[in-house]
Amino acid sequence: MTKQSKVKIDTLLMILVLFLTALIISGFFVSGLGNSIKGFVKLQTHPARLINDYIEIAGIGGALLNAALVGFIGLILIHISGISFSGPTYAAILTMTGFGLFGKTPLNIIPIVLGVFISAKLVNKNFKDYLIIALFGTALGPLVSTLAWEIGFPLVPALITGLAGGIITGFFLPSIAFSMLHLHQGYNLYNMGLTCGFFGLFASALIKGLGHSYSTDIFWYSGASPFLIMLIPVVSLFLIIMGLIEGGGKSFSNLKEIFTFPGRLPSDFVDLGSLSGALINSGLIGLFGSLYIYIIDAPFNGPVIGGLLTIMGFGAFGTHLKNSWPVVTGVVAATMVTGNPLNSPGPVLAAIFSTTLSPLAGEFGIFPGILAGFIHLLMVLQTGSWHGGMNLYNNGFAGGLTAALIISVIQWYRTNKEEF
Amino acid sequence: MKRRDFILHLIGEISSYILEGDPSRMVISLHQEKDGLHLCIIDDSEHSDKEIEKMNKALNSRKRPELAGYYGAMTGQDLLGSSRLNLLGWQLKHCDVNRTGSGIKIDLWLGGDSFDSRQFTIPDQEKT
Repeated sequence: MTKQSKVKIDTLLMILVLFLTALIISGFFVSGLGNSIKGFVKLQTHPARLINDYIEIAGIGGALLNAALVGFIGLILIHISGISFSGPTYAAILTMTGFGLFGKTPLNIIPIVLGVFISAKLVNKNFKDYLIIALFGTALGPLVSTLAWEIGFPLVPALITGLAGGIITGFFLPSIAFSMLHLHQGYNLYNMGLTCGFFGLFASALIKGLGHSYSTDIFWYSGASPFLIMLIPVVSLFLIIMGLIEGGGKSFSNLKEIFTFPGRLPSDFVDLGSLSGALINSGLIGLFGSLYIYIIDAPFNGPVIGGLLTIMGFGAFGTHLKNSWPVVTGVVAATMVTGNPLNSPGPVLAAIFSTTLSPLAGEFGIFPGILAGFIHLLMVLQTGSWHGGMNLYNNGFAGGLTAALIISVIQWYRTNKEEF
Repeated sequence: MKRRDFILHLIGEISSYILEGDPSRMVISLHQEKDGLHLCIIDDSEHSDKEIEKMNKALNSRKRPELAGYYGAMTGQDLLGSSRLNLLGWQLKHCDVNRTGSGIKIDLWLGGDSFDSRQFTIPDQEKT
């Protein structure tokens, strides 16, 4: 490893550790140590399916503690497997932390990681080969929680059912993930969303088929905590400052270089471009995302902050302002055409997470990007019920289906049009 | 992945890249040993110094098992859009890109853990 690469990795690791630690400490300050721990414990046995806003359920301190610990588990897994920090791992940690605010808990993600580990061993691979699948595959954490806490078993059988369900889930994820990748050819950034959604269809059908039902309550915090409103902008400014320090006089050209990448999977902006450009891009996405939420008067709650953290993470792995605005425009247009309020839960999350389709705009242009965003909104409002909210990356699922449709048409046209 | 499939995908990705330059001639040569292979691709298209520098950067990027093991599955298969040499770069032992009279020559060396560079024509100072 070169000295320059080592500096990049150390900087990224330092940023992530600082961020996660700051989340825990600030949570303690806002809610108090006792309340935070009490809230955290409550979350471990609470239903986790979409949409369970942990801030509404456990308070700010409990939710932040849970999110940071989920993030730290990701960091430890990356460290143990000996993988260096870069765009995809940065994206994975911010995504895991973000979803630790509405669905992931330390308890419901570990069995899935174990399942992926067993799957890797079965085909004589190292765990690090499947690390990204394991980290993002934790999107099915709610399935583990459902099996453990909503079926109605006593404690020990419940724990065994949850653990076994999680391991089986994780075991199947790599095989599905590879197939799903070919379906959209890398034009849906959240491939594990499509993977987990596909698996979730079967899991949900099985649970319902066995006669079990579960609550469909939505927990959506709609308060206006100044701390939560300022959280993402402050983190974004920190990232921009770090990027400016790292890039010095080249910062602007580094950012411009990031804007030239289509963003198709796997586009590690840290490697393809620079750490400085990736950090500034990540921060700008956070600032513009927050501005959008502020303008449409949506609450800064667990899912929204989690969503913003996710797209900031993907600011180092495929998303930038130039390739994402067309898809967001498409979502906004579809929301208005269908008469939905822009600040209702579905459209808010769709606008944030639709950036999963930004490579379509990056590769094929503005019009396909807007069209993709438009279709995405129509799809995502339906797909959640298909898997019973088991798959936290519901937008990745809808985005994958949308990308597959658009890619099929483009591929058919290009491969069938006579050239000779 | 079976070796035959692996080679087909590698050739698919690198050929796709070369064909984007619309060459009138493309030659592919393969030399296989027990635990490694050397793939050589020659074309007659014009390539700028900047492009060759980019190719070298992508093909000689640091090893990324977490990306190669997952996204590497797209190598030579999902060819809609621009070719991605970095998908190859994560899987290579070594690569050289050199100018020929009218185009370029790309040498790719691949292999497993027991790859023996002495079996191949990797330039002496660069043998791993």
